[in-house]
Amino acid sequence: MTEYEVELVWEGAEKADREANIATREDETVLEAAERADLGLPFGCRIGHCGSCTGRLLTGDLEHARRPLALKDRHLDDGYVLLCIAEPRADCRIRVGVDVQRELVSNPWK
Amino acid sequence: MSDTESPSEASAHEHHEHHHDVEGPGYATPQAAVEQSEREKVAYVMSLYVGTDVDAPDFLAVVDVDPESDTYAEVIDRVEMPNVGDELHHFGWNACSSSCHVEGLERRHLIVPGNRSSRLHVVDTKNRENPEMVKTIEPEEVHDHDLSAPHTVHCIPDGEILVSMLGDADGDLPGGFLELNDDFEVVGRWDAPGDIEKNYDFWYQPRQNVMVSSEWAAPKVYQPGFDMADVEAGNYGHQLHFWDWENREVVQTVDLGEEGMIPLEVRFLHTPESTHGFVNAALSSNIFHFWEDRESGEYRAEKVVDFEAREHPDWDMPVPALPTDILLSMDDRYLFGGNWLHGELYMYDVSDPKNPRRADTLSVGGLFGDVQELGGRDIVGGPQMIQLSLDGERLYWTTSLYSTWDNTFFPEEAEKGSVMLKADVNPRKGTMTLDEEFMVDFGEMPNGPARAHEMRWPDGDCTSDVWQ
Repeated sequence: MTEYEVELVWEGAEKADREANIATREDETVLEAAERADLGLPFGCRIGHCGSCTGRLLTGDLEHARRPLALKDRHLDDGYVLLCIAEPRADCRIRVGVDVQRELVSNPWK
Repeated sequence: MSDTESPSEASAHEHHEHHHDVEGPGYATPQAAVEQSEREKVAYVMSLYVGTDVDAPDFLAVVDVDPESDTYAEVIDRVEMPNVGDELHHFGWNACSSSCHVEGLERRHLIVPGNRSSRLHVVDTKNRENPEMVKTIEPEEVHDHDLSAPHTVHCIPDGEILVSMLGDADGDLPGGFLELNDDFEVVGRWDAPGDIEKNYDFWYQPRQNVMVSSEWAAPKVYQPGFDMADVEAGNYGHQLHFWDWENREVVQTVDLGEEGMIPLEVRFLHTPESTHGFVNAALSSNIFHFWEDRESGEYRAEKVVDFEAREHPDWDMPVPALPTDILLSMDDRYLFGGNWLHGELYMYDVSDPKNPRRADTLSVGGLFGDVQELGGRDIVGGPQMIQLSLDGERLYWTTSLYSTWDNTFFPEEAEKGSVMLKADVNPRKGTMTLDEEFMVDFGEMPNGPARAHEMRWPDGDCTSDVWQ
């Protein structure tokens, strides 16, 4: 059974940085592996349209198991991933937590 | 007799019996609701943690709004959802005055959808102060009908329930409507797939055989947050759909155009005789009046209120008002609403619906509100969801719009939580006065600061009840 090591990194402006390591099994999403390890990651729809679980891939490789509709091309180009449908294909290092989702859009009037 | 009391409990309230000329839930007429309703004692409030650091489920808050109570203006109970991440948003009753002829039916169960999760929860409010979760409909069962992102819940006559659904099973378009039966089982899709593309809120007026629905956007568009690129790409709605209520099909679509971007809450007047109603175009910051033209039998819509954008020293562009919610008083005399970004509540006399007259405003919260602090804490965000007492004398509001949109426009709300506030209304004089003694602080919840969204009263409210 293929296992990949995934390092999860929380980098928030107002909270201490934190890291955790988990391992994903074959065809397992990062969110499922985190839940198996009892780590709370944000999520919503679990099928890739709401963006609540957005992370940013720092190193490694993963594939979305279905279309990541919550992410536009510019987000995908910048390494944003949806952890509810993202399956690692190599060892990965991923920035996680609610702050990542907030980077997807900005206030157009400010 | 209130809807959730059993006959034995009702014996203590026999002085009400002579008013009670309906067999089922609710009131015989809108005016009966004004005259016969008792003052609201608890409010049910959608409360959520989505988009914050708190890893806990969203919850239904029971807020004590009885000034005679020791726990006035406090959250006295919380019904936690079984999962995290739902994004509770709008919710509704299993029955209202549209079923007042149905003997034995009670206004007792709340249908509480998760807008992100597509999960539907059923909460029994038999014990009004300590409601109980009794059923969950899992997302897979909703997706089976190629629907997602439940929004508005209206009961329809005879105990069935209709829910507007904003997306298909992938969170893309088209949306549609999901029908539940009176045992809270999924009956199936109510409409023909593809009759509409975008969906949001709806209201029906059975005597006129009409339903109206409005448009937000596909879940994949609005859920990740507000992106101007989506406006430019035409991904946001600007249409109203008028349905043949009996035949469940769209018979007319009215395009509100550039001035009608993101039409949200659609409110028909309460009187069953009327074909007039209003909708707030949130992004264009306008309110439209719609009505059936008697000669052609077609619906028309016309902009009747226009909120100007305002310059703010810290913002590069003029700030739009963003009127995100409106409602009509039970006597159809006043339209209330809130400008979420500006921080303004307004009250329009709509006794002539084509010519609304501004009766009063309150400047509170948001970017420009005169009042920015109450009860020792900052108000973050302007008036958002509003709810009016049935007698039209108390207006309440909360400050959260939608987690991802809050995080863009009022990011502090994630750390400080929402507030629920109140104004006293004088419907004879057309005035509102901020009640500085009333503040419910959702920043002080056991699991951490929470957002607060839609509110409902146990005996019905101005955004629930429909008459046949």
